[in-house]
Amino acid sequence: MNTLNKKLIVAFFSVLILGIIGLFTIDQATQSRINNLSIISEVPSFKLDNFDGIPFTEKKLDNKITVVSFIFTQCEGACPIMSTNMGLLQKRFSDSDILQFVSITTDPDYDSSNILKEFSDKYSTKNNWFFLRGDINDVVKLSEDGFFLSASLLPVGHSTRLILIDKDRNIRKYYEGTVDANIVELQNDIVTLIKQD
Amino acid sequence: MKKQLFFQSAVVSTILSYLLIFVGGLVRVSGSGMGCPDWPRCFGRWIPPTNIDQIPSYIDTTSFNIVLAWIEYSNRSLGVLVGFSIIVLNIIAIYYFRKEMKLFLSSILSLILVAANGGLGAIVVSSILNPFLVSLHMVLALMLVSVLSYACIESYKLIHIEKFKDLEINRALSKSLIVFWILIIVEILLGTGIRTNLELVSIENPLLSKGELLNALDSYKYFHSFLGFTLLFLSTYIYSKLRTNKLYIARFLGIFILGMIIVQIFLGEMMIFFELPQLTRLFHTWGSSWLVGVVIILYNCISNEYAK
Repeated sequence: MNTLNKKLIVAFFSVLILGIIGLFTIDQATQSRINNLSIISEVPSFKLDNFDGIPFTEKKLDNKITVVSFIFTQCEGACPIMSTNMGLLQKRFSDSDILQFVSITTDPDYDSSNILKEFSDKYSTKNNWFFLRGDINDVVKLSEDGFFLSASLLPVGHSTRLILIDKDRNIRKYYEGTVDANIVELQNDIVTLIKQD
Repeated sequence: MKKQLFFQSAVVSTILSYLLIFVGGLVRVSGSGMGCPDWPRCFGRWIPPTNIDQIPSYIDTTSFNIVLAWIEYSNRSLGVLVGFSIIVLNIIAIYYFRKEMKLFLSSILSLILVAANGGLGAIVVSSILNPFLVSLHMVLALMLVSVLSYACIESYKLIHIEKFKDLEINRALSKSLIVFWILIIVEILLGTGIRTNLELVSIENPLLSKGELLNALDSYKYFHSFLGFTLLFLSTYIYSKLRTNKLYIARFLGIFILGMIIVQIFLGEMMIFFELPQLTRLFHTWGSSWLVGVVIILYNCISNEYAK
């Protein structure tokens, strides 16, 4: 065998090996995205009211992928950023009927239905975003026991995390609602969950 | 001996740089670019964490994904290795070849390019993978392999001067190689533009299918195909002119260029009509980067100062 043929064979196998490494890596990356969204726990039962007065319970989470946040309308720090980010996701996924958004106020004394409605008009562009209020004790319980997020010194002390819930009511992952990289991550994970169906 | 040392060092740097382009492409197609949200370290560590417990408490762990972290970090590590190999090349160049301007300047330029591209890597991460910056990162890598390929062929010519004497110079062929190289660069920029726009559209419309994404692109996507077939035509001409060349390397590279263009057109069409788009994308990008360096080597082979 002459040197050229030897070199060609080496080149061919190098490319073949790189191809296999590439295929393996791409597959691992895809798998890892699904594995990274492992089930954390199930959302417990709760009952709050949307700003239009219609009750919202855990049953409304069934067969929907839901992004949840805790906010209050007078909040000047994180909430506007979190809500803007949720509004951005709402727009980007506006063609999807499976995705919905939920924001729960940690200041139900001030945040009346009307005020939540005004807040909704500011950030939401579609009727798949629910702004919920209820008894403050129920909200604290839902945050701490349901979502494992601290809720002390309310209204200010609410968590700034966004929660991703799958269509079987399972909590899948948390995202810092004010960090752009986390929002990109959330967007990718929503796509992963939608495509899993 | 010294020339041999420089040549070998340049070849090692070039091969490592091409591997780096491959791994970089792998990062892009597997979506691992944010595998490490910080830079240069990965979740605050010089060796990426293998477990979430290893991440310092002050760092947000939301995006921690061990697989993506290691893919991204392999790109950075290989980048550092390329950096070291180019530093070695520069030491050789500064020590022995300060008067050999072609070797000296190409080494220095490759060092500047690799450093600049490393820095751009940091900006890419902090921009959360802005598609323009990601593409610029690849274009700088192409410039790097161009300069390194030049260093390879120029040092090879110094070692094997006798092979390059008595060559017939074909000016038309030399000119067509220049045109070919420029068109390859334009073609790559068009391809990069298509990818950049696909990513931008996909960020705003995350649920669009591949077909819908392609439809959302401007008509310049057709230029990419059109130019691809123009390059096929041109490479056939180059091949036919090189078939009887005295230089073995020139004949070989003539076949290589024609073959690579055919493979590239095939891969490009595959990406549109078939599945496995990620692996196809990876080799489509990587193959085009080979053409950039190979044409530079070929041009400097057949249009050299030792010829008649």
